[in-house]
Amino acid sequence: MDHLEYLFAGFAVFWGGLLFYLMWLQARLHGLNREIARLEERLAEAETPRPRAETGIATSRS
Amino acid sequence: MSAFGTPETARQRSPGPAPGGLSALAQRWAERLYGWRWRLLPPLTGIAMFAMILGAVIVAPREAIEGEVQRLMYIHVPSANVMYAAVFAWLVASAIVLWKRDMRWDPIARSVAGVGWLFTGLTLATGALWGKPIWGTWWAWDARLTSTLILFLIFSAYLLARSLADESDEQVARYSAVFAVIGAVDVPIIYMSVRWWRTLHPQPVVANLEGPALPMSMLIVLLISLVAIVLLAIWLVALKSEAESAGHRLTAIRTAIDRRERA
Repeated sequence: MDHLEYLFAGFAVFWGGLLFYLMWLQARLHGLNREIARLEERLAEAETPRPRAETGIATSRS
Repeated sequence: MSAFGTPETARQRSPGPAPGGLSALAQRWAERLYGWRWRLLPPLTGIAMFAMILGAVIVAPREAIEGEVQRLMYIHVPSANVMYAAVFAWLVASAIVLWKRDMRWDPIARSVAGVGWLFTGLTLATGALWGKPIWGTWWAWDARLTSTLILFLIFSAYLLARSLADESDEQVARYSAVFAVIGAVDVPIIYMSVRWWRTLHPQPVVANLEGPALPMSMLIVLLISLVAIVLLAIWLVALKSEAESAGHRLTAIRTAIDRRERA
């Protein structure tokens, strides 16, 4: 009469669904922030002028 | 970054206070609360969730006819209410995107739609698990269930359309805002379906003209559950908004790099 199996299944689906969504969101946010940091670093590197000796062109011609 | 976020970033992003008056005070408090969201939401949600579980499993009395399975009400009904609230917030944010062309509201619309989709799915799933032992079937094509399924499909269509397009595409944002209007039309149909048509789903037990048809002990637990699930939904929306904003920022950086490499 109490149908406890349905009660447990209902709570499991509810909490499981929320936990899965939270973990997916957390993973996505983590991935996005890591990608932003990587690209910002790349952008900063591209904006910094390199010394000529480091390019390798000067050494190959000398 | 963790789920608890960075309050400093939020404070930097929030606009400055408006000059003088009551509205300035309200705005200052709103900004302060917004800045504190990662400090306030996790403990408040945690406490409310603990009270909800305690109330639903231990404190609330066993229902005489349906038995223990009726305790599913404490997650099913608040989920449905969050679903309604999400559609309303989605409509407001999408209307601003559609008419004012203010793209700052687009991440909010997407976040609210994501959370609304989740709670619509949970409402359908918990409803099916409650329906099987009581009605003898997982699903019936009655007006309440079918109109809720339509809302779930509207949310799904919106999220699918947004995931296939470029995040910063204004035209896609405006066109897909129409989904929110269709979703908002569906909500009164869902709500009134049990009054307009003969359905398997019971009539509302709380929002009645004659007053709540629940004992006080059950009503209090239901209200605590509602507060807990609303807080959880706000937390999820805040977290999803952070992810949406990060997505926009990533697109902007990629564009800057592409422009630089072409130059």
